[in-house]
Amino acid sequence: MNAILKLVRTELRLVLREPLVLAFVFAFPILTVLVIAGSFGADDADAFANVDPSQWYVASYLAVVIAAIGLVMVPVHLAGYRERGVLRRFTAAGFPRWSFAVAQLIVGVSLTMVASGVLLVVAGLFYGLPPVGNPLATTVGVVLGAVSFTSVGLLLGAVLPNARAAQGVGLLVFFPSFLLGGGGPPPDAMSATMRQIARLLPLTHVTGAIRDPWLGLGTGTWHLAIVAGVLMLSVLGWRRAVRL
Amino acid sequence: MRPVVEVRELCKRYGDRTVVDHVDLDVAEGEIVGLLGSNGAGKTTTVECISGLRRPDSGSVRVLGLDPQADGPQLRSLVGSQLQDSSLPDRLRVGEAIELFRDSRALPSGSGPVNGLLQAFGLTEHRRQPFSALSGGQRQRLFLVLALLNRPRLVILDELTQGLDPASRRDVWDAVRSLRDAGTTVLLVTHYMDEAQALCDRVAVLDDGRVLDVGAPVQLVDRHAPWATVRFGATLGGVPIESLRAIEGVRSVRRLGTQVEVHGDRRMIAHLCASLVGWGDVPGDLSVVMPDLEEAVIDLLARGDRRALELTGGSR
Repeated sequence: MNAILKLVRTELRLVLREPLVLAFVFAFPILTVLVIAGSFGADDADAFANVDPSQWYVASYLAVVIAAIGLVMVPVHLAGYRERGVLRRFTAAGFPRWSFAVAQLIVGVSLTMVASGVLLVVAGLFYGLPPVGNPLATTVGVVLGAVSFTSVGLLLGAVLPNARAAQGVGLLVFFPSFLLGGGGPPPDAMSATMRQIARLLPLTHVTGAIRDPWLGLGTGTWHLAIVAGVLMLSVLGWRRAVRL
Repeated sequence: MRPVVEVRELCKRYGDRTVVDHVDLDVAEGEIVGLLGSNGAGKTTTVECISGLRRPDSGSVRVLGLDPQADGPQLRSLVGSQLQDSSLPDRLRVGEAIELFRDSRALPSGSGPVNGLLQAFGLTEHRRQPFSALSGGQRQRLFLVLALLNRPRLVILDELTQGLDPASRRDVWDAVRSLRDAGTTVLLVTHYMDEAQALCDRVAVLDDGRVLDVGAPVQLVDRHAPWATVRFGATLGGVPIESLRAIEGVRSVRRLGTQVEVHGDRRMIAHLCASLVGWGDVPGDLSVVMPDLEEAVIDLLARGDRRALELTGGSR
C-alpha cells in the first residue's frame, strides 16, 4: 500500500508538470465546451432532447475529460515509461508490477475529478450548471467511466511499442470518439449512419451514463452496463498483455 | 560461508535462441565480481535473472539464500540495482527520486546520511533539478545513489559507466571501490576490460551465454595470455637475430626500425636479460610489455570461437 501511495503522489506531481496533460486534459475540454455550448441557441433544443444546448454540453463534457485522460494521457505516459525503461527501474526497486497500474487508475480518477471540477467552474460561470437529477447515478457514471477509460489507456500503453505510436493511435481514437461520442453534435442532428457509428463508440456510453441521470433523460443503466463491459475487457486484455 | 549469489546451471531462451546456457556463478560476501563479454554474451540476462526481473527457464538462482522469483519483495530491499537501458521520468527531481525509492531500510532522510551520499556523488547542488536536466555522468551517479539508498547487501551494476567521459568514469570507479570498502558485495556487468581490471576481485567471461572462465584478473592473464614482449634499441652489433631466437622461451624476434622486439613466454624475460648482460650489450631503453586482461579475454574469446567453429562444423 505504501508503494502505491508513493507512486500516486509522484505520478500526480509528474502529470501536472506535463504540458500535454495540461493542454489536453484541462485546456482542450474547457475551450471546446465554451465554444460549442455557445454555438447553439435555445431554439435548437429539439435536437437536444428538449434540453437547453448549453446545459446539454456542460453535462456531456465530463466524458471528454475522461476520454482525454484514457485515450491520450495514460497510453502516451505508460508507453513512454516502457520505452525508456522507467518501469524496469520501478520493478527492480521493489515496486510490484501491478502497483503502477493501480497507481495510474487512482491518478486517472483523481485527475478526472480535478479537471472536471475546473471545467464545471469555468463552464458554470458562462452558462450556469444544470441541476443534477440523480446525483448518485451521475457520480457512478463519472467514476466508472474514468476507471474504464483509464483501463483502456493502460491496455493501449501496454501493447503499443512506444510513446509516438501511443500518441498516434490515441489521437486517432480520441477525435472520432470526441466528435461522435459526446463533444460534437447531438445524436438527433446526426445522419443515421453516424448515429449508428456513435452507438458503437464506448465514449458515447460514458457520456450517456453521466448525462442521462444528470439531466433526467433516463437512468443511464444500459450505458453503465456497456461501460462496465469495456472495463472488464480492458482489464482482461491488460492482464494478458503484461502477464501478471 | 554461503555465497551472496549462487547460480547453478542457469538457462534462459528467447524463442529459439539460447541466451544463457548452463551458467554457474558464485559471488562471495564483500567481493566485486565482474561479468565480462561482448554484446549479446548473456551478461544482462544473467543479472536480470539474479535480480528477479526475468524467470529462468531452468537452473537455480539464490541471492542471500533467497529465490529472486518467490521471495522478490523481501529480496529487493536487500539488493540495489542499476540496470542497463533503464531510466527515470524526465520531470522527476533528484530529491523526489530519493523519496520515491526509499524504503524502510533506507538511510534517514534530511540532513544526515542521504545528504552525505548526495555529497559523495556530487549531487547536492542538483537536488531540485529534474532528471532530464542532468548530464550522463550525473544520471549514472544518481542511479548509484538510488541503488545504495536502502543500504543493500548486494549491488548489481549493469554497464554503469557506458557513455561517460574518462573523468566521470574514474569518479564512478572510486564510488564502487568505496562500496567494497564498506563491505557491500558488488556484481558488475561491463564490456570495458580496463574497468574490470581496475575494480574486480574476480571476473567471469561469458560468450554465447556460456561461462568460458572465472578467476581474478591476474589469474586470467596468467592462464590465457602468459606471454611478454621485450623491446630495446637495436645496438646489437655483434649479436645476430638468430642468437635471440635461440634463447629459451622466445617465440619470435623482429626488427621495428631501430628497435628489436622479442616476444615469448614470461621466463624468456630473465633468459633474455641474462644473455644481453653476458654479451656485454646492455641497452638503456629496454622495456617490458605485459599483457593485460583485455588481451587475455580476447585470446579466450578467440579460442571459444574456434571451439564453437569446430563444434558447429564452421556454420558459426
